[in-house]
Amino acid sequence: MNYSNFKIPAVAVALGASLGGLVYGYVNEAISLALEAATPYVEQGFEVREDNWSGEVEPGKPLLVKHQLFRGNEYWFWAGTSWPGATIKVDIFDSEGNSVGLESFARDSFAGVRALPQKTATYLIRVVAEYSKTGEGLTDEERGANDPVEGVGEFSGSLDWGLVYGYR
Amino acid sequence: MVMIENVIRIFGRAPLAGLGAVFVATLIFGAGLLNAENAPNAPERIDLSNFPGEMVEKVVVPIPAEIFAVLEKLDEPDWNSGIELPEQGDPVGERAILALTFGSLVGEGFIAVQAKNADEIQTIGKRVLALSEALGLAAAVRPHSLSIIEAAGNSDWKKVRDELDATQQTVRTTMEKLRDDELSGLVSLGGWLRGTNVVTSFISNSFSEDKAELLNQPGLIEHFRGLLDSMKGPSANSPQIRSISTGLARLEAIIAPSTEISEEDINQLRDISRTMLEEYYFEKKAAETGTSIN
Repeated sequence: MNYSNFKIPAVAVALGASLGGLVYGYVNEAISLALEAATPYVEQGFEVREDNWSGEVEPGKPLLVKHQLFRGNEYWFWAGTSWPGATIKVDIFDSEGNSVGLESFARDSFAGVRALPQKTATYLIRVVAEYSKTGEGLTDEERGANDPVEGVGEFSGSLDWGLVYGYR
Repeated sequence: MVMIENVIRIFGRAPLAGLGAVFVATLIFGAGLLNAENAPNAPERIDLSNFPGEMVEKVVVPIPAEIFAVLEKLDEPDWNSGIELPEQGDPVGERAILALTFGSLVGEGFIAVQAKNADEIQTIGKRVLALSEALGLAAAVRPHSLSIIEAAGNSDWKKVRDELDATQQTVRTTMEKLRDDELSGLVSLGGWLRGTNVVTSFISNSFSEDKAELLNQPGLIEHFRGLLDSMKGPSANSPQIRSISTGLARLEAIIAPSTEISEEDINQLRDISRTMLEEYYFEKKAAETGTSIN
């Protein structure tokens, strides 16, 4: 898997920095979208971690992230993908594969799932990014992204994804 | 009172009171989700033996504040008694040891912020900067260090916590850009070890099974053991790293999966983690086991 960063302008830098996020002039756009999904929950007292997961993945190929959770904390995981027209969803399971998500949402480029662990243990967060639109099904924005300009913007067969979490 | 309500909410010892808390929590969350669309139903179960996707290798290590948050709900620890800032020496030595020390110092900062001890936080902020200079990372760390000192002066504890997390992350990211992934992992290990030591010390003084369960972290210990096993270069064979590696093996033997962690186990975890920290952070104390904090 290629964990390269997607470079985007200063607007996204400001968004990331507003959550104490990434600096140095560039941010990961999928992470920025995940952080955007986290914003309302920060106001509810969730502390969003600086560390996170990101990379690229083939559309529809599920990813599993192992993570230590503590009983007594409440968690939200937020995922994002920046490719126009792509969707993403996130679920959480215990180490036996049983779903433990209490609620979730998915809105095109970002999604979230909440968990209140019943025991302190390693859990599995599943992220699936999908993109299947072609031809006339594309919106103008999506078409723009898929009209190659000197090789830029052409769908390469993989989607960017990012995952962040918060606790309280 | 707040602590008792938290215990009821999280651990469900008083179902009726818990229902009230759940109702309130539902209202709070409902407000936050007004604009959200419900996700398609997740499968109730996935077959892990035949998973069609990919396991992400990166491990995100929880910061000490995550486990402190639970302990705070279960107990009223005297966080000030947990602060144990070593005497300041010249930050020189192998980069591996400096990286471990950096992580533990940030861990100390998380303890100090739980204690709301502005003086100690400001001292730690200055030491973090001094240590980052020894690591050649002062330019990246200075803004965080200044923010920590300023936020502590303003009693903005959430900001201090965020900046401590950001400091550690900035150092790790910078190390990774310099292809120093080993050092980045050691920063996480140092923070985890300092957090584990103070948590086991508190639990040891006021044992309960709920609190002991917080140490059920075999996946993280396995991760850290893998990190040390894969180290290359002269640091890999230094007596300190070898001793820490042995300590992790001893911790792993106690925190075995599906085993309840007893009071005796907690005492051992406290003493082993203390011994590991004495390899690079605390002064070695001869013929003494553990620390006595309340």
